[in-house]
Amino acid sequence: MRLNILKGIVLIGVCALVLGLFQTQVFQGGYYRNLSEENRIRLVPEEAPRGQVYDRAGKLLATNRASYHLVATPEDVTPDVYPELAHLLKISEREVRERMSSPREYPFAPVVLLRDIPRELLFKVEELRPELPGVSIQTETIRSYPYGPVAAHIIGYLGKINQREYEKGDRERFGMESLIGRSGIEKIYDLRLRGFRGGKQVEVNARGERIRVVAEKTPVPGEDLTLAIDLEFEKRLMELIKDKKATVAFLDLKTNELMALVSSPAFNPNVFVSPSGAAERLQFLKDRDSPLLERGSGAAYPPGSVFKLVTALAALESGKITPQTTFNCPGYFRLKPGGRAFHCWNEKGHGSVDLYRAIERSCNVYFYNVGRLVGADTLAHYARELGLGQTLDLEMTNMAPGLVPDSMWKKNHFKQEWYPGETLSFAVGQSYLLVSPLQILRLAAMLAKDGEWVEPKLIRNPARGADEPKKRIAISEKNIKVIKQGMLKVVNSDYGTGQLARIDFDQLAGKTGTAQAPPKAPHAWMTGFFPYQNPEIAFVVLLEHGGSGGINAARVVKQAIHIWKELYQPV
Amino acid sequence: MIRRWFKLLPAPLLRNVLILTVVGMAFIYSSTFRTGEDFVGRQGAWALVGLASLVVTVALGYRFFLSISYSLYALSLILLLVVDVAGATRLGAQRWIHLGLFSIQPSEIAKIATVLALANFLGSRNPVEEEGRTVLGSVALVGVPLLLIMKQPDLGSASLMIPIVAVPLFLWGVRYRYLVVTLLTGFLASPFVWNLLRDYQKKRILVFLNPQLDPLKSGYTAIQSRIAVGAGGLFGKGWLHGTQSQLDFVPEHHTDFIFSVIAEEMGFLGAASLVILYGTLFYQIIQLMERTTDVKAKLLAVGILSLFFFQVLINIGMSFGLFPITGITLPFISYGGSSLVIAFTAIGLLVSIHKERSIF
Repeated sequence: MRLNILKGIVLIGVCALVLGLFQTQVFQGGYYRNLSEENRIRLVPEEAPRGQVYDRAGKLLATNRASYHLVATPEDVTPDVYPELAHLLKISEREVRERMSSPREYPFAPVVLLRDIPRELLFKVEELRPELPGVSIQTETIRSYPYGPVAAHIIGYLGKINQREYEKGDRERFGMESLIGRSGIEKIYDLRLRGFRGGKQVEVNARGERIRVVAEKTPVPGEDLTLAIDLEFEKRLMELIKDKKATVAFLDLKTNELMALVSSPAFNPNVFVSPSGAAERLQFLKDRDSPLLERGSGAAYPPGSVFKLVTALAALESGKITPQTTFNCPGYFRLKPGGRAFHCWNEKGHGSVDLYRAIERSCNVYFYNVGRLVGADTLAHYARELGLGQTLDLEMTNMAPGLVPDSMWKKNHFKQEWYPGETLSFAVGQSYLLVSPLQILRLAAMLAKDGEWVEPKLIRNPARGADEPKKRIAISEKNIKVIKQGMLKVVNSDYGTGQLARIDFDQLAGKTGTAQAPPKAPHAWMTGFFPYQNPEIAFVVLLEHGGSGGINAARVVKQAIHIWKELYQPV
Repeated sequence: MIRRWFKLLPAPLLRNVLILTVVGMAFIYSSTFRTGEDFVGRQGAWALVGLASLVVTVALGYRFFLSISYSLYALSLILLLVVDVAGATRLGAQRWIHLGLFSIQPSEIAKIATVLALANFLGSRNPVEEEGRTVLGSVALVGVPLLLIMKQPDLGSASLMIPIVAVPLFLWGVRYRYLVVTLLTGFLASPFVWNLLRDYQKKRILVFLNPQLDPLKSGYTAIQSRIAVGAGGLFGKGWLHGTQSQLDFVPEHHTDFIFSVIAEEMGFLGAASLVILYGTLFYQIIQLMERTTDVKAKLLAVGILSLFFFQVLINIGMSFGLFPITGITLPFISYGGSSLVIAFTAIGLLVSIHKERSIF
């Protein structure tokens, strides 16, 4: 009887084992097989090297460099390593332990103790490796901008991909840890620079050691890009305005490419890549001088007297004046007797002025008269024809469209009529009018090219536009010639407002502007082209709250032209 | 003469034992061939030692062993004390005594010595006359080595001592109330035992109750072993192709977790066949027990049966989560000299019981 119970127990035991095995192996076999595969096969993604960015002379503006991370596999670390590491990293032992216990993807995965360590530390660690079991160095390629802040606004910077971008993005191109362009060329050409990610399926053992590669896909590197800008020119222009809030831009009139686009203050894009740059990053973001802002295309200012070029063209084209039309400037202007006095910048007045002299001396009263004749809406029409108030088709991010006001706009915006007084301000580049410096640069370039439409570009392409039909603005060449003569006198006449920019043995044509920006100092402007005959370049200078255009901006122009001549017309 | 001698032997039982040993060597090879060390050769050598021991045991006869059982028992207690004082520590436990070329595991010797001593003790007492004292004596007989083994610490081997005493007592004819009282006492004593346990042992038991408690540390072995068994599926991944063990996800895969390797590589068909093979072996032992008329032989056989049965049950059960992880080997299959030689010696005792069944 008891023997039968014993037999029963043995039978039950054997059956329990068989049933348990059946349940685990047959019912749940697929589930456990997946788990065993996940254990064994690890996907090691490999980022494609990002395309390099060159300047027009072939110098590297953006490249990739090796970065070294100090890592440790906690399972392999012996207790005496902790004080050693604390000493090396100059942190407390507690901190080392904390970093060591940060969450990991799988057992035996190394923990990153310090990212992007300096070379000296790297060498020290390599030397001490035999005494530091479990500690090793991991290599990764990261973006590097060898010239730091030079052309930083144009190239832009990278940031870590966010959840939404990752979910939306192509798995072949975006990984969870991928960096993505956040501004400038890095953002606009992100997909071209990015290339295609590769990776390896490796078989690993329980210690995470690689046994063999099961499958492999080599990454396809991103495309390289060549920019039209000249690093050397950028550098020297930067030097010129480094302590100011200012922008200088030069356009190659042959190719319509920007040779230089300098904005000050600038930032160092490397801090957005290196993990150690967090503090500096924050500084850039919080700085009241907004170093991240590219002032040439990303900001809009009142143009001041520079706009008189547009007012003059509008008046000539609409037939309200001829170049010989004369107005008297007593130093002020009233819309009606006893009304408000609109002052000329020269309180003594300019006397009797024609259009040439009005441009040369930047006479406000002349343009008040012209503005009244033309009217705000016609002025706005020609301003738009000349490319103001619309975003440039440039390879830049966060461009400011500016603002060209008219009566409709004012009605929509303020529910108010347009006042005649506002037309006067508008005619001399004030009121609601806002332009970006690059819009003004394009204006100067189109004048230099006698009315051919100009679309500035940043990417170098020597063949650009060769087979496209030339587009023109709807303004006659004859009238543009008149304006150009006026611009020549601005610099080269002894009464001109831009005399300080005069170039010896050469003729520069330009127009200055001093745009009121109360309560602070006015913005100093100067734009133009060079040389007067067969122009090669157009330029714009803006000094934010920089005072007088004729003095401060003109000085910068003169120096900048000299630099250009040194670089491109060596004697 | 030799042929006649062989005719007296229980051939099916021996055949099963040999099959198990060969299967064991095949999978010791599978789980160690990457290390470059010759585990199979050593296991083969131990198997030969085991066979020799079996032959000697049969030649001497089980009665001889019963007659020296108390001395053997005392010797094993001394060895356990020696291991406590001078033993080698492997994997955090003092279980081995080094003897030059090889090392022995006294707990293995203690198990078989206790089975022998208990069979002798119970066999010379009558349940009708001195039931209470006998039960107490048996419990004491098993309790001493149990505590010594637990102290090593080797929870697995220690727990095996309980069926070693409970099953023979049951068969001896102890009244159920005694058995219930004994088990109840054990149950009530468990809080004290809990306090005696090392931290890692407590953790293992907690993790057994909830493997996800600590999936990367204590639960790791339990989970990885279950994955290995489950991933074998119906047909297995093939000999030498089990990734879980070949890549070291399952630790100790040539000793305690060799069943995971078998289950992963041979699948349910192979694993279940192995279980059934063990079942057959148990059935053969029970048959052999039924045929003998000697009470001591019966008690000895049932002691050996419970020793094997619970080792197999716990070892295979823990590989897929039926039991907590303990350091119990799979008889005839796991790598290990002491365990293999003792198992063969135990089979020798059974063969001898079979051979001498009709002496009266």
